Amino acid sequence: MASKESDAIVLRTYPLRESDLLVTLFTRLEGKVRGVAKAAKRSKRRFGGALEPLTLVHAHYDVREGHELNRLDSCEVLESPLAQEVSYPRAVALGHVAEVLDELLPDHEANDAAFRLSLAVIAALRGPNIWMPITYFDLWMARLSGYLPDLSTCMVCDGPLNGSRAFFHALADGLMCPADKRLASSEISVASRGLAELMFRAPVDAFTGMPWASGQGADLRKFLIQTLQRHIEKKFVTAGMLEKIAG
Amino acid sequence: MSRFAEPLARLIEELKKLPGIGSKSAQRLAFHILRSSNEDADALAIAVRDVKASLVLCSECNNITDVDPCVYCSSATRNLRQVCVVEEPTNIASIEKTKHFNGVYHVLHGTLSPLHGIGPEQLRISNLMRRVESNQVDEVIIATNPTVEGEATATYLSGRLRRPGLRVTRIAMGIPVGSDIEYADEITMLKAMQGRHDL
Ligand SMILES: [Zn+2]
Ligand SMILES: [Zn+2]
Repeated sequence: MASKESDAIVLRTYPLRESDLLVTLFTRLEGKVRGVAKAAKRSKRRFGGALEPLTLVHAHYDVREGHELNRLDSCEVLESPLAQEVSYPRAVALGHVAEVLDELLPDHEANDAAFRLSLAVIAALRGPNIWMPITYFDLWMARLSGYLPDLSTCMVCDGPLNGSRAFFHALADGLMCPADKRLASSEISVASRGLAELMFRAPVDAFTGMPWASGQGADLRKFLIQTLQRHIEKKFVTAGMLEKIAG
Repeated sequence: MSRFAEPLARLIEELKKLPGIGSKSAQRLAFHILRSSNEDADALAIAVRDVKASLVLCSECNNITDVDPCVYCSSATRNLRQVCVVEEPTNIASIEKTKHFNGVYHVLHGTLSPLHGIGPEQLRISNLMRRVESNQVDEVIIATNPTVEGEATATYLSGRLRRPGLRVTRIAMGIPVGSDIEYADEITMLKAMQGRHDL
């Protein structure tokens, strides 16, 4: 048995047997790991609010030879989403970050870029605008996982899309020019592609306080969600809920 | 091929579906029932059947009840103008134990839960809104759990309920009685500080 410790982001918990919780953590040390928190369901004393989704914790856990699941010994809260008011939109946005991380990250593979991105986005989600951090997060997760196609050329004719109209389709792997777009494609605006370019060049804090029109970046988010969903071959539960909030 | 006679194996299989009951416990319970008197076994079977057949949700407050409206909603001595909102019917017992609440309840049967696809449309609040809209309520106390989902539900509800003449309150959060501040985690301590009151 080996004891490990790492900063970690709590992604999800599931009830396990009568009183235990199965916890999925995104650790800085070794990426996504699962651990059993003994008696966490019955007695909140030991873990308190530490196992709420998207809490940043310092986790101590034991890796047991021959066991797939680690044993979670303790979690010290470093940063809790409960420190700020949890509005429903904020809860959905936090849930979205947790779901995307849980679905995209492989087990036991450290990913410091994704970890730092998550910390910055969770911090940005303390503010009132959920759409900017969510757009930034989905964009970078698509890029970091290698699923993001080139946004500046048509995937069919290789022609440049800069400044001209561009389209995407749930079953296509990239953007298309007006001549090559498929039936029932959606358009992604020049402004949204410009926003993506800006977001690749600056940290998420650079966009906090930036004026954000209602619906801004909606086409980009739809494109990113479709791209990610095509690769994981399932739908994000939280994507539909975000759409409903956007109205 | 089962090691047990078919009726016994079937009972074990059914018991195993209960929360917290594994194979060993299911076998122990099944043999206990087998050894018990006919009357006891019948009483158990009838109780299981009746719980499904005779219990309904209270049309006023969603509490689980055998009479509609439930004992709280139909009580002559309880204050119908003060409503405490809880997540689950079992939470009512915790509040009743205090013997200091004489209002009535509203049971949500869950919370907003983005990761489970449960949004405002799925929240059972139509009968609560009806009570509030017809000016039957002075105060709504929101007693959902101090979790992300419970907080999101409380914030959402307070927005939906807000209107002149209605007081919407949230139960306090903080240090458990009899514990030690030294062992409080930072978020509990923060909530305790935020929820402080004048002496
Ligand atoms: Zn083209
Ligand atoms: Zn009732």
